[in-house]
Amino acid sequence: MAPTPMIELRQVNKHYGRLHVLQNISLTIGKGEVVVVIGPSGSGKSTLCRAINRLETIDSGEIFIEGQPLPQEGKPLAEMRSRIGMVFQSFNLFAHRTILDNVMMAPMDVKGISKAEARKEAMRLLERVGVADQAKKVPAQLSGGQQQRAAIARALAMHPDVMLFDEPTSALDPEMIGEVLSVMTELAREGMTMLVVTHEMNFARSVSDRVLFMEGGCILEDSPSEEFFLQPREERARAFIQSVQESRK
Amino acid sequence: MNRPEIQDVLYEAPGPKTRRRIRLFTILALLLLAGLLAAIVRQFAVTGQFQPKYWFFFARLTTWRFLGEGLVTTLGAALVGSALAFGMGFLLMRGKIRRNPVLRWLCTALIEFTRGVPTLLFIYFFFLIVPGTGWKLSAFWKITLPCAISACGVVAEALRSGVNAVPKGQREAALSLGYRETKLFYRIIFPQAIRFVIPSLIAELVIVLKDTTFASIVSCADLMQNAKVLISNYDALLSIYLVVAVIYILINYMLNRLSDRVARLLKGNGSAERRAA
Repeated sequence: MAPTPMIELRQVNKHYGRLHVLQNISLTIGKGEVVVVIGPSGSGKSTLCRAINRLETIDSGEIFIEGQPLPQEGKPLAEMRSRIGMVFQSFNLFAHRTILDNVMMAPMDVKGISKAEARKEAMRLLERVGVADQAKKVPAQLSGGQQQRAAIARALAMHPDVMLFDEPTSALDPEMIGEVLSVMTELAREGMTMLVVTHEMNFARSVSDRVLFMEGGCILEDSPSEEFFLQPREERARAFIQSVQESRK
Repeated sequence: MNRPEIQDVLYEAPGPKTRRRIRLFTILALLLLAGLLAAIVRQFAVTGQFQPKYWFFFARLTTWRFLGEGLVTTLGAALVGSALAFGMGFLLMRGKIRRNPVLRWLCTALIEFTRGVPTLLFIYFFFLIVPGTGWKLSAFWKITLPCAISACGVVAEALRSGVNAVPKGQREAALSLGYRETKLFYRIIFPQAIRFVIPSLIAELVIVLKDTTFASIVSCADLMQNAKVLISNYDALLSIYLVVAVIYILINYMLNRLSDRVARLLKGNGSAERRAA
């Protein structure tokens, strides 16, 4: 028998009014797998990402995390979410607290970890993503790249089993994208299960195991990264890669 | 610190012609003001308002002690009333943002009711109707409670606008970390919301303070009531009202300054520290 996948979606559908944003999506992501989702804007890739921790509800279908169905509400949902780290396009650090507090708060508030322990772990994580020297500042005082790295540390502080990245570099100035991607690359090398919505083709190519190409609410192509970039099966995917690469030149 | 003035935001920098015009209007305005002041002083003199009999009692300590006692009551009623208004406003706001439709409707109705009814009507209610029910209230509470009730709806709406102003991403980030609603509200949302609305809350404190001047209706010895006692004692209306008005202006001016400072402190703390770093 195959091992239990980390994430499994079965025939997931979602509508925004008349717009069918997720059409019969079925998908499995194994433990330790790094999957990149690409596609034009409005293709449903962010919605897919956000459905996995139920920031978006779905209309039909099933979502399983390590074989357990994603709870719909209350404490079970909150507990499941605490096992799924999420990194947002706009960082969403808690604006009223310091960087250190941002990383310490959830372990203390949600898991009931002692302050001393939370602080030690937070400093270790901030060190790891390279913003330990900013620990005492508030988010608005940091560059976008620093904020996003701190946000990754905040998610990691909950020791998640899987990390979701929803366009983590799309709001960054070009010179800051690299520092965030290198933190993510390191995380991937350590075996974290990751689902990354991104437009960073180099990252997709060199770090991910699989690429999903989405358009119009459907997964048009699901291929190993090598294969996808060498010879995409779908004509639409080929055109998309080309247009993205041209815009980056 | 070089803060841009509102004029710099609204208008472009003046050229030579505009500068001349500004100077001309400034001089005209000053002349007009001086004329007005002279007219007032003249009117005072003509009607004999400068006669010592209208002013001599301000040299007595007892006059000031009496006014001081009134002032303490006024400040007490304003502070206690504002604290109550904040508490009730907070509960109303919590109720209004709940999903439960009955609770939401009830709180909305209460907010609109307290915002729409003049303070004076609430005071009459506590003065004329409440004693009939056998509920014994001191004069202090007969003014403080209606002022608080009259303000709580406004406070609730101010707090709600603050809660609405907190970006959606803050909530999503907390949810994704495993926060549940109650903790999310008190740890993440409300601390940010309160920062947005402190200036409007202090403005509401000024309104509560001004509302307490109705205290004389319920014979609560606040600043206004004591002023009225002095007026009938010394038969000096204008001089006493003038002094009392100055006292009210000073207090409210200080509150407004406080509000500006707090607003600047909360807004500026990020950029100020960044400059220091």
